[in-house]
Amino acid sequence: MTTTTRSPQTGASPARKGGAKQASKAVRHRGALAFFLAPFGVLFALFYVIPIGYAVYQSTLVVERDGTFGAARQVFGGFSQYISVFENEAFWQSISRVMLFGVVQVPIMLGIALILALLLDSPLVRGTKFFRLAFFAPYAVPGVIAAIMWGFLYSPNLSPFTDLTRAVPFLSGEFVLWSIANVVTWVYVGYNMLIIYSALLAIPQEIYEAARLDGAGQVRIAWSIKIPLVVPALVLTGIFSIIGTLQLLAEPQVFRSFTSTVTSDFTPNLLIYSTASVPNVSLAAAMSVVLALATFILSFTVLKLTQKRTQA
Amino acid sequence: MAISRIARAGALAAAATLALTACSTGTGGDGASGDCAPSDGPVELDFTSWLPGIDEAVAIWNEENPDIQVNVQTGPNGLGGTYQNFFNQLEAGNAPDLGQIEYDAMPNFRVQDGLENIAACEGILEAESQFVDWTWSQVTFGEEDAVYAIPQDTGPMAMFYRADLFEAAGIEVPTTWEEYQAAAEVIRGEGGYITNFSQSDINQFAGFVWQTGGQWFSNDGDSWQVNLEGEESLMVAEYWQGLLENDLVSANPPWTDEWNAAFNNSEVWTWVSAVWGANTILSGAPDTAGNWAVAPMPQWEEGASAAGNWGGSTTAVLKGSEHPYEAAQFALWLNTDADALTAMNRTAQIYPATIEGANLPVFAEGVEFYGGQEIYQVFAEAGTNVDPNFVWGPTMTQVYNDVADGFSGAISGSGTLMDALTAGQQSTIAALQAASIPVQE
Repeated sequence: MTTTTRSPQTGASPARKGGAKQASKAVRHRGALAFFLAPFGVLFALFYVIPIGYAVYQSTLVVERDGTFGAARQVFGGFSQYISVFENEAFWQSISRVMLFGVVQVPIMLGIALILALLLDSPLVRGTKFFRLAFFAPYAVPGVIAAIMWGFLYSPNLSPFTDLTRAVPFLSGEFVLWSIANVVTWVYVGYNMLIIYSALLAIPQEIYEAARLDGAGQVRIAWSIKIPLVVPALVLTGIFSIIGTLQLLAEPQVFRSFTSTVTSDFTPNLLIYSTASVPNVSLAAAMSVVLALATFILSFTVLKLTQKRTQA
Repeated sequence: MAISRIARAGALAAAATLALTACSTGTGGDGASGDCAPSDGPVELDFTSWLPGIDEAVAIWNEENPDIQVNVQTGPNGLGGTYQNFFNQLEAGNAPDLGQIEYDAMPNFRVQDGLENIAACEGILEAESQFVDWTWSQVTFGEEDAVYAIPQDTGPMAMFYRADLFEAAGIEVPTTWEEYQAAAEVIRGEGGYITNFSQSDINQFAGFVWQTGGQWFSNDGDSWQVNLEGEESLMVAEYWQGLLENDLVSANPPWTDEWNAAFNNSEVWTWVSAVWGANTILSGAPDTAGNWAVAPMPQWEEGASAAGNWGGSTTAVLKGSEHPYEAAQFALWLNTDADALTAMNRTAQIYPATIEGANLPVFAEGVEFYGGQEIYQVFAEAGTNVDPNFVWGPTMTQVYNDVADGFSGAISGSGTLMDALTAGQQSTIAALQAASIPVQE
């Protein structure tokens, strides 16, 4: 977006000066811009705009046929798939399930990430490089592998800690959501920590110096200077986490092979996946569009709310 | 109008005599008759299957037919992902030439127009007499001049049990479901479970219902009736609900390591399953070799001999294949040739759908893993006691998913198996309506 708004400016201001040379330069600029933007534009269209457009188109179709095995026709059905989505209890249950997940898991994960980042940034801690790598390492494990590993750890018979897993039913109906939350936290805490840590590194040293001259200790500096200054990073990681939560798929999908308490409509994406396998692709497309809109609205609301607070 | 009325009348007549039928406006539209000609030159075919060791049978064909080479792709079992891949590939127009499809999924693929009608291909219609009657009616949907797949195997059910543990505990092998429950209580006292209730693979439950003579679907030629909560289904559900509530059966998700481990470490003592289940146990529980035996399925009435059926597959030529002739020839060969059937039995313990195939020497042999017992005799006997008229609905993927979700809920304490069937009944009717398939509410 920024590049497209900038290009007319750079093109227009020299042109106003009137030189023919300048104008031709602007045209050449435009060519160069197009050249450099083309790869992005093509990929963006192929893998983003067209699939979304197709999903929206698909979501407006309904099937008609004569009898059971008559040739099926896909005809325009207006908003009828969307009405089905809004009437679909399982869909809204899955949304509220991941919302509950997010309300609990996201603050815990970001809280841990913030504490770890502050510890790494503290001059009192030694071995910073080692710990930075160690905290980040789980993120290098692919999500599916992490879920399989934790699945085995939780499993009542196959776990290396069967005494614990037989006593605490990690994979039971009540616990499984939080067992998944633990996996997600384990994977992403280091990633979020790194973003917050980078923000901490960008804080000018002079501010700390001033604080120290005023007699502030490390804890006071962390609380009154560091945390307020990394709020934008927290907002960013928060929004990423909300999007990730609404789109949970890999972890619950893997957990289905460890426990049947993860049903085929456990998260919105799992429900979309199983609806597509009926196959009822139009309904699945409509669900995807609604989920995308819900994600957008939620992220945007969080952004607006936090912006207001930081400005005030 | 006249044509469609005649077609409808024809379909109605078919419905009266055969279990599975269509109320479509005719068998045309697939352009079947007369256009199944051999291709020129060498042909390569893609075949997707999840049968263990299928490549060995295919290798025999490839050696004998240098001009028709078959490439095998293996995948997860049908409901585990292969069907979804097929549906997506069909939508994208790049499905493999041949695919393994179970009988229960055939209507689903037919509704999605995913199957090539191979009736016009040489020797296919004539092959009918080689197959067990009910398997053939499952691949023709009772239509004239229509063959949508070649039957591969059947899944008559019996009871696998740990002969050694039963003997050590002094328990008689149960012949009725009542005795089975009594045995379950004794086994629980010994610290084991009599079996694992398959809550996320509903086919086993369907097999139990099949044994009682219940039906989940029927079609009167105009529309479908869904009957998931019929008397027989509820009876079976109440029986297993009782076992679950009294903690007499375990509830590991099927086809997982956890589930295999429960067999392997002698926690689970029996499994009422289909003939191909012989492969599941011997590959999943290697430490228990020699300790298993097979007995007929427990009965609801003393002295009865009804059996259910679980699974059984076909080899279908999928829509869009460029070489339907060669694909059909391969499918027919794979499921009728003595060497192929023997190879598939050796690697996957499947039981053929052909009448002749059942007489192959391999099916008279004792199986070492099962203490040398001639287990196929038990399944052959069960096969003759399977009601041939069980009807599958056109959206089984959805039915299984929805009922499985309900069963899982019942196991974690929300609702019962009976509630799950009621919910499944409603969601199935809704799914049929969504696909604009005529259904009675």
